[in-house]
Amino acid sequence: MEKPPVVIVVDDDVSFRNFLSRLVGTIGLKTVPFESAEAFLAAPLPDSPACLVLDVQMPGLSGLDLQRQVARGSRPLPIIFTTGHGDIPMTVEAMKAGAVGFFSKPFRNQDMIDAIKEGIVRDREMRKQLNELAEIQARYDSLTSREREVFALVTEGSLNKQIAHQLGTSERTIKAHRSQVVQKMKADSVADLVRMADRLKIRPQITQKSA
Amino acid sequence: MIGANQQQAPSELALRLVFERSPDAILLLDNGVFIDCNQAAVDMLRAAGKDELLSLSPSDLSPAIQPDGASSSTKAQEMISVALERGSHRFEWLAKRRNGSEFPVEVLLTAIPFQERQILYAVCRDISRRKEAERELAKSRVADDAFRAGQGRVLEMIAQGATLSDVLASLVTLIEAQSDGMVCSVLQLSEDGKHIRHGAAPHLPEIYVQAVNGAPIGPKNGSCGTAMYRGEPVIVTDMLTDPLWEDYRELAKLSGLRACWSTPIFTGYGKVLGSFAMYYREPQAPTGSETRLTEVATHIAGIAIEHERAQNELQHTRSELAHVARVTTMGELAASIAHEVNQPLGAIVGNADICLSWLQQEEADLKQVAEALRDIAADGHRASQIISRIRSLVKKHVPEKSLLNLTEIAREVIGLVGHEAQRKQVTVYSQLDESLPAVEADRVQLQQVLLNLVMNGMEAMHETDANERQLTLQTVMSNGSVLATVSDRGMGIDPAKAEQLFKPFHTTKANGMGMGLAISRSIIESFGGKLWAEANAGGGAIFTFSLPARSQEIH
Repeated sequence: MEKPPVVIVVDDDVSFRNFLSRLVGTIGLKTVPFESAEAFLAAPLPDSPACLVLDVQMPGLSGLDLQRQVARGSRPLPIIFTTGHGDIPMTVEAMKAGAVGFFSKPFRNQDMIDAIKEGIVRDREMRKQLNELAEIQARYDSLTSREREVFALVTEGSLNKQIAHQLGTSERTIKAHRSQVVQKMKADSVADLVRMADRLKIRPQITQKSA
Repeated sequence: MIGANQQQAPSELALRLVFERSPDAILLLDNGVFIDCNQAAVDMLRAAGKDELLSLSPSDLSPAIQPDGASSSTKAQEMISVALERGSHRFEWLAKRRNGSEFPVEVLLTAIPFQERQILYAVCRDISRRKEAERELAKSRVADDAFRAGQGRVLEMIAQGATLSDVLASLVTLIEAQSDGMVCSVLQLSEDGKHIRHGAAPHLPEIYVQAVNGAPIGPKNGSCGTAMYRGEPVIVTDMLTDPLWEDYRELAKLSGLRACWSTPIFTGYGKVLGSFAMYYREPQAPTGSETRLTEVATHIAGIAIEHERAQNELQHTRSELAHVARVTTMGELAASIAHEVNQPLGAIVGNADICLSWLQQEEADLKQVAEALRDIAADGHRASQIISRIRSLVKKHVPEKSLLNLTEIAREVIGLVGHEAQRKQVTVYSQLDESLPAVEADRVQLQQVLLNLVMNGMEAMHETDANERQLTLQTVMSNGSVLATVSDRGMGIDPAKAEQLFKPFHTTKANGMGMGLAISRSIIESFGGKLWAEANAGGGAIFTFSLPARSQEIH
């Protein structure tokens, strides 16, 4: 069962933080407020779908600085920016870096709610993908090194015979490895295996064949 | 008597005649006794005749004491001794007529050897008139010197920036002192050139002064109103009969004034500035000496009025310029101001919206609504405070000196630039002395100077590493002055070129007007202070201004 989504608010203005909590409350969600980017970075990330509502200009680390740090981190949360006075270059920079929205205060509540919902959908999707990837990675981690070699060569499109030749073993042995790989990776088909390899960014390892 | 009644040679007769008819009084003394005199001596000493005079002793013809304090008899012996020794001696003497009146004489005492004796021959000349003239001359020289010194004092007052009414009052008093029974006044012509404005009349009746102030000028408006209208002197010898005074006759009677001579005061290029008037309580026409006084008075009053108008003009221009500079600074702050105002506005609009949707629900939670409304009200107040802070700086105003606490002003400025500092990633430190004595200045202009220095400091750190952008604002008391210091960590200044920063149109900014520091310095100097720049030892610049401390402490 998924934990309820949260909206993380980072804004140095207490009255604005309070307003956003109230607004987010109207759609039945909770907020986690921070008064600075530094305070946010020091806190643990929530284990639930979330999005960030950031003030662009804050003392210390600015909203745009924080956006770069979040993007580089393990959990690239969707970001919605707010500003008292935004200029075009600032907006462009934020949107290019993947912001969900950029709002000049004052804004329409509905627009913010839509953006928050959109952000949470994106994060949910992102979390799903991350979870899947983590799952596939775990399966991949359970393969032996010879199975990984076979996995790479199969997903590259090599035939059993070619693989056997390349690895210097019999075609029968390769067949056995191959069925192990399919089973461990819980793949339905070779096409499924290829998709997984793609997500894991696996390329055939250059194995030194004995001369 | 010498050769009296003897047959005389013609030449002796001639000599006798010369002696008798000489206009100078001549007396002959032999051993302290008069032996002869001429008619002039008899006349001078108001003796009944020659016989009476010759019967007197010399001491009868002098007061007991001479002007230098010596007794006449002692001094007479001295004079005689000198004459005997040198042959002749000339000296001044205080003589006494037979009627007792005293008068100065110049005596030439000559010793003439005669039959083994020394006859003294005294030629006396009455020098009363000469003495009188000398006294008069000395007196008038003293008066002249005093008058000239008085003029110097009035000019000095103008140069030192005394108020116009003080300067004119001193001038009027000085002129009045030169002539008995004369009362003077200086009036100004209003800027529109149509009305009389009070200038100075310390000794005219209050009722008269008040009636004249604001009265129109015109072809038949008393002496001064007419003189200003015509642009030429108007001499009224009797205010009770002159047609120019027809409309003001009652006022003249009530004030006890009879004669009024008014002369226009001109600018250097011939524009009428006002008038100078002399009043007497009796009908009277001017003599030569008043003309000279009038010339002096109108000349100095013209300088004083022109000086004041120029000062006012300058003050006005300076405050206009300061206003332009303030508006420019506020323009630079526009982004920060918009942010600061939109912050509460954003919360207000958003909260209001939430309240509306709550209230549209069947069962609104009024407690929640009330809470949101309280927040709205608080944010509304916050926005209005921000606006009024800015408004006071942008509003046009006439500079006005008052006692101010520099620390308080520094704090206001820090509040004003708080957001701009954030935007520029500058950390602002303050070291403010909480027990500063007051300074006397205009609040808005002082704020402006400090704001300008702080904005410059932040601007100067544009290329400094973000974590080194530090600006420190300090207020401190030092040697009878209150100092405000703004130090930055920016590009710094070349000490040799520090003074150039204060020149108009000097700028290091791409879009600066280059007037900020020039205006700031003129503002600080107009309050008797100084503004200067120096290099910051740790890199960057330090700008400091000092203002004289006015009191021990204000809160």
